[in-house]
Amino acid sequence: MENNFLSIPEEIYLLSIDENGKQHDNFRNEKFDVIISSAILMNLALLHSIDADMKYIIPDKTKEIGDLLLDGVTDEIVEYGNKRRIEDWVSHLGIHGQYFRDEIIDSLVRKGVLKIENEQVFWFFSKRKYPRVGGEELEEVQSRIRNLIFGNDLPDERDIVIVSILSNSNLLQTVFSKEEIQKYGDRISIIAKMDFIGQAIAGNLDTYKIPTVIDSIFKKQSPEEMLEEHIASLKTKFRVTNDDNLPEWIRKGTDQYELTLDFVREKGTADITFNPRSKEYSRLNLNYYGSYVQ
Amino acid sequence: MNMISSEKGKYLILNIEGRVDTSNYEKFAQELQIHIDGGKKFLVLDLQKLDYISSSGLRVFLSILKTLRAIEGDVILCCLNDKIKSVFEVSGFLSLFRAIDNVEELV
Repeated sequence: MENNFLSIPEEIYLLSIDENGKQHDNFRNEKFDVIISSAILMNLALLHSIDADMKYIIPDKTKEIGDLLLDGVTDEIVEYGNKRRIEDWVSHLGIHGQYFRDEIIDSLVRKGVLKIENEQVFWFFSKRKYPRVGGEELEEVQSRIRNLIFGNDLPDERDIVIVSILSNSNLLQTVFSKEEIQKYGDRISIIAKMDFIGQAIAGNLDTYKIPTVIDSIFKKQSPEEMLEEHIASLKTKFRVTNDDNLPEWIRKGTDQYELTLDFVREKGTADITFNPRSKEYSRLNLNYYGSYVQ
Repeated sequence: MNMISSEKGKYLILNIEGRVDTSNYEKFAQELQIHIDGGKKFLVLDLQKLDYISSSGLRVFLSILKTLRAIEGDVILCCLNDKIKSVFEVSGFLSLFRAIDNVEELV
């Protein structure tokens, strides 16, 4: 039976959507998949399905959690059996990012946080509110984290995880202003260190050759930059080390690449795909990413 | 994991030996809780002979610290060996606790 408490990946997902329920375009990429994968592992650690030290993930208990996504990943880790480097699990799970997003949205709809109308995601309530848990309304994650950072209380385990994800992914701007980050930077840094899996996120994002996620999320990119980033992520995802092995539509120097660039310019996004048979471009199925922007 | 206790004034000193990890963090937490339930508000955890601690173990430390601070007690770390000190430093947990080099520093 599924529990009604929000999981860490669900809370992180909610931080990535706006007041209208739409996920920012620039969150819909594989870097966010790395963040979600880390969030899954950290949630499992909180629930003692896994344990972690400075280097490794170690399988712990195999009891059912009651969350389809978390139970699925637990099964995979248990099946693997041995301890494995944190970075390796994050990378491995990141490949399933699209599936995770779908599961997260479905779960948030089932829990009454989000709703889907006319193929668009909305908050269920007019304001950001979470369902009642144990008779009390759960404080929305943004205000909870802000209160923690602005105060002097000891953090609880769950909020350590959230702060660690936000800080190590350079996503603090979803919760704090630049001035607040500067003012409370020391406290944020200390709390962010308190989760070993959280610390591994930054390393994993580096493997995507992205110095800071924030650059891609908050900076306006040129079509060339968007396309280059998309190609880089595809190369990483599918482990292509030689550009000659790329298909023509994303291989620089080909006529088809120039047509690809034209399409990116026209659509304003590099979240596209190409059908080599019909020679037609199309935007990626954004349903995978939990947004239904036209 | 072994835990040997002694007292010095208001402090209960607990020498922790071995590992605190996924296999025994619950037992570790239970034993600490028994002392708190018995009225001990100031725990000194001597970590000189602690070999390994995982995230599960660190969470027990945090939980006990929160419990005791809420009743105006405290947890003091003592005699951290280099390996364990490194874990506490890297994890940022060291900043949460008062740490001393030996029990003679207790007043």
